[in-house]
Amino acid sequence: MENIAELEHVSKIFAGKTAVEDVSFVIPRGSVTAVLGPNGAGKTTVLSMLLGLREPSSGSVRIFGQSPKDAQVKRRIGAMLQEVSVIDGLNAREVMSMIRSYYPHPLKLTEMADLAGFTPEELNKRADKLSGGQKRRLGFALALAGDPDLLFFDEPTVGLDSTSRRTFWQQVEALAHKGKTILFSTHYLQEAEDAADRILLFNKGKIAADGTPDEIVSRLTSRSVSFIADLEDGDSYAVGEMIHRMCSIPGVRDCKEEEGRWSVTADNTDTVLAAIFRYNIPARDIRTGQGRLDDAFEVMLTHDQEKEAVSS
Amino acid sequence: MKMLLMQCKVEMLRIIRNPYYVFWSLLMPIVFYYIFTKIVNTGVDDAKAWQAHYLMSMTTFSVMGSSIMTVGIRMVQEQSLGWSVYMRITPLPGSIYFISKMFGQTVMHAFSVIVIFVAGFLMNGVQMSIGQWIGSGLWILVASIPFLALGTLFGTMKRVDTTSGLSNITYMLMAVLGGMWMPIDSFPSVLQTIGQWLPSYNYGSGVWSIAAGEAPGLKPILILASYLILFMVLSIYIRKKQEAV
Repeated sequence: MENIAELEHVSKIFAGKTAVEDVSFVIPRGSVTAVLGPNGAGKTTVLSMLLGLREPSSGSVRIFGQSPKDAQVKRRIGAMLQEVSVIDGLNAREVMSMIRSYYPHPLKLTEMADLAGFTPEELNKRADKLSGGQKRRLGFALALAGDPDLLFFDEPTVGLDSTSRRTFWQQVEALAHKGKTILFSTHYLQEAEDAADRILLFNKGKIAADGTPDEIVSRLTSRSVSFIADLEDGDSYAVGEMIHRMCSIPGVRDCKEEEGRWSVTADNTDTVLAAIFRYNIPARDIRTGQGRLDDAFEVMLTHDQEKEAVSS
Repeated sequence: MKMLLMQCKVEMLRIIRNPYYVFWSLLMPIVFYYIFTKIVNTGVDDAKAWQAHYLMSMTTFSVMGSSIMTVGIRMVQEQSLGWSVYMRITPLPGSIYFISKMFGQTVMHAFSVIVIFVAGFLMNGVQMSIGQWIGSGLWILVASIPFLALGTLFGTMKRVDTTSGLSNITYMLMAVLGGMWMPIDSFPSVLQTIGQWLPSYNYGSGVWSIAAGEAPGLKPILILASYLILFMVLSIYIRKKQEAV
């Protein structure tokens, strides 16, 4: 598969502070990639380097094999940026006509109006008088004005209600079906899991994980077995022995009681179940569970913070 | 070419739809002109010459204002709204963006010049030869370039309110000290000396000469050219420094 974008050992330092550190990845044609991470993880910085708005301190960024600043590249990309409002003094239709005049093979004005979902009245409204949601839809239509091959969406759904959010992701899916390459950043974990076929997990300016949503989940989520143990009250020997037995199973990370339920966290829940039966532990109401990506994300971050706390 | 035409059209639309433009650039100068040629008796000997002179003062006042303020404030606005960042990811070359801004501005200035000239003609029947009318108009347009450059210098600022405050003060001070409201001869000598070196005075003096039937001197041309170079260099230097992030 042809690579649409390539980053090689890219770092970005702002006034002595490292925002992005030695990041390398390639974006194949037709992929939908989520750049996921908490605030300040370097997502927007990576995007702005891909868009040619910022120069990497070291390393190289290539889009379609060229510099992102090349006019040829700009004709084939479209983007929705964060914190971009609209131009003043023009109505929505004029803004659309203006932006589409920049591209060699633009969408028709009617197609753009459809993408934004604008009625004729909305098209005649001054762009700066549109509501927040309408401005965002205008921004979406503008991103597609040049019928681009590669699309960037920086935190596209922040501040949108759930209906608009759903509509947005449906549109993105339709674009992906048409073979567009899409890269979006988000800190909504659910969105990355649902909309992307690949997640680049960023943390502290580095790629913490790179894979399909499933891979990320299985790599980082904790699975657990929980049950109610009918141990006699005050029988500290039985409790102690059970904890000891559970913790000696390979892959078990934790065994603790919370509000009467015991929960055993492990890489492989089958071995835990086997052990429960083997040792005749008086367990009932046994449940196995797998954390969603949310949890995985949380785990990764707290994990990192702990490490940092230890090293500092 | 299509891009350039579109961009010029858009810039003009934006200027004409701006209520401040209509107020500051058209209404204010015309009202001032009315007051100082019709209501207040300035007691000058040659009323006809004064009416022509003051018409030129007010036109330069108008064009200087919109050069400094509209350009500067608009640039800061676009910066703070993130719009100029967005333009950088579109294929529109920065040069076309800039040229059409300046061109759109100049077309609007030509419009202001015509409106104010016509107002002066209708109010006081200002009489000049065709050559003088055209010459004055051209001087006002061409010699406004240093003020456009000053506008782009204000355009490098970060916040809209400080920009509009500062550019407004600069504009008013230059207008008064440059003799656009009152002839500089009536000032104390210290202010006269300062005034003579301001770009506003030299902007006016060229066109005052034309209105009086003389050619503009070399001095105002040289002074304006120096200011143009100064403002351009400063503005480019600051912009480069800001972009080097």
